[in-house]
Amino acid sequence: MSDSLSVALATLRSRYGPQALRRGGSPEEASAWSTAVPVLDDVLTPGGLPRGRVTLLAAAGRGPSGRLTLLQSLAALASRSHDAGYVDLAGSIDPGFLADLGADLDACLVISPGPERWERGLVMARALVVSGMPWVGIALGWEQPRPSLWEHALAALAEAVAKRGAICVIATPAPVAAPLRHTSSLTLVCAAAGWQRANGDVAGLRVRLTTGKNKLGAPGAEATVLLRYPRPYATAEVVGLPSVVVPRLQPIVVPVSAVVSVAARG
Amino acid sequence: MRVLCARHPHLGLLAALHRYPELRGEPVILGGAPELRLPVVAASTAALAAGVRVGQPLRQAQQSCPAAVFVPLDPAGIGRLRAAVCAELHRLSPTVEAGDEESFGDLSGRHVEFPDEAAWASALARGLRGVLDVEIAVGVAGSRFVARLAARASHPGRIRRVRSGEEAIFLAPLPLDVLPVDPAVTARLAAFGLDCLGAVAGLGPADLQRQFGPDGLRLYRLARGEDSAGINPVPAQRAWSERLVLDGATGDLEILLGAVRECTAALGGRLTTEALAAGEVSVVYEIEEAVAISASVVPANPSGNIAELWAAALGLLGELHPRAPVAAVRVGVSRLTPAAGRQADLLRPGDGTREAVVATADRLRSRFGAATVRRPKLAVDPGDLPERRFTWEAPVVAGATR
Repeated sequence: MSDSLSVALATLRSRYGPQALRRGGSPEEASAWSTAVPVLDDVLTPGGLPRGRVTLLAAAGRGPSGRLTLLQSLAALASRSHDAGYVDLAGSIDPGFLADLGADLDACLVISPGPERWERGLVMARALVVSGMPWVGIALGWEQPRPSLWEHALAALAEAVAKRGAICVIATPAPVAAPLRHTSSLTLVCAAAGWQRANGDVAGLRVRLTTGKNKLGAPGAEATVLLRYPRPYATAEVVGLPSVVVPRLQPIVVPVSAVVSVAARG
Repeated sequence: MRVLCARHPHLGLLAALHRYPELRGEPVILGGAPELRLPVVAASTAALAAGVRVGQPLRQAQQSCPAAVFVPLDPAGIGRLRAAVCAELHRLSPTVEAGDEESFGDLSGRHVEFPDEAAWASALARGLRGVLDVEIAVGVAGSRFVARLAARASHPGRIRRVRSGEEAIFLAPLPLDVLPVDPAVTARLAAFGLDCLGAVAGLGPADLQRQFGPDGLRLYRLARGEDSAGINPVPAQRAWSERLVLDGATGDLEILLGAVRECTAALGGRLTTEALAAGEVSVVYEIEEAVAISASVVPANPSGNIAELWAAALGLLGELHPRAPVAAVRVGVSRLTPAAGRQADLLRPGDGTREAVVATADRLRSRFGAATVRRPKLAVDPGDLPERRFTWEAPVVAGATR
């Protein structure tokens, strides 16, 4: 690096701060919040949900995908250690189910802005994040208002989340709106892999999760989890299942010496 | 945590006595006319001595004490008195709560003006006595439940303090009916041969939980003075306003804009100095020989400086359309809360973030409706229907339990 470039970089850093200039090419760092499901944490590259980022739980298509159950189980987990906000735009919240998932209801705040009030819900979520709410989950409904009505509120929410280092998870039905795709740092595509049955009854839903977009690591990792519903003799929970697809997070590196030896033989 | 509990006559009764001072010392019954089929809300000492009981029908109370004066509830008077009690408690305590017959203040930590807790509690009691103009009984303890019982054990004009660690000793001889639980639970405890709180505290938590479920654990904690219920805080209801009388009545928008700007600059500077933020902003145009017009807004975030206040006021100016020349402009701020991140509350233990979140939730409820932000709570008696498994309640700081 030439001296004049070094001087220019030093000047810019001293004037605009050390974060103003960073080297490209390396993944951005983000601390993680563990989901307490090792299989899921393995899929989420930093070892959990990234702080200061927006994570998307996107349905793969019409029909059940398990995204709302997964979101509620994450909210329940978050409420055990700190406050958790749940913006219910889908109209599907069931505090009894949250309690079945082991949530501390005293730490849960349910925001019900009304159906199709996406902008209001996002504004309220942002206000809570700005005031210090460390975890916010947003359940979006099927009826999707025009993006021009709520994309600014979403951008403001993402900025507040980044500023406060909060965890923001948005569950959205398919198809995923463009502003949501753009804002999210991590998109988990949820697809139902089948009902879990026990003694002729539905005991849960198997969900295949795939990282569709990942600004923090390589996309394409897969995992399967079982969303176990509450039973008279057992509580609801999320259980990791053995995955049939091996996550391909690291590129296969062939030693140079092996390549050289093969070439010499040829 | 240290909690002060002050027991005083019902605020409705005190409001009536303030309104009709000639009734002092007389038998007074609060609740309405005896013809109404309503219960007695409160009664003066003379009426109680004559056999009147709170909760009994008014007609029955009249038979017990024919000379009694019946006064109706005055919600406005009670509200004024409650606000005065809160303001007085807020002067010396960071977290306060004012009920109808009991008021609470947070005495955690130390106050710079007083050498010890007793002096601090005395000052609060004196202040309350000045506001209510009646002797009050005060209890100070490590939890809300014990402080209430200490206040009951105290006498008017006295303070009963229960030192930290001595809660169980204080509670041990008390009867079971002081427990704030279902009478059926108390009756069942009595059936087991338990006659005082000390006997309940002597049982293991597992035994009580086995018999009474989650209530058993609560019973155990209450009996040992370890309940975690704190104070349900009432925010300080302060409101400031700045008024500017114009040189001459005018309808010129530039002049009005300048006047509002001047008022917001004065108020914003004051807010910054006091490290407070306004939860509601209002602008009033006082019109010559006509009714003033006003508009108010609950901003998305509390306004704590000139720029934020100006942004809120500017939005209101578009809503005001004076049809006659304006003589004066007034800008007001209310729902003042400590500005988050600007002033650390050194007197209060616990997590300040939680309080900021609750304050935000309160603001959102004011702005978008009470049903928009709620906290779920499992129902004690859920019944068979799934929707009865829980109830909704307004978010409050869950006492410094976390």
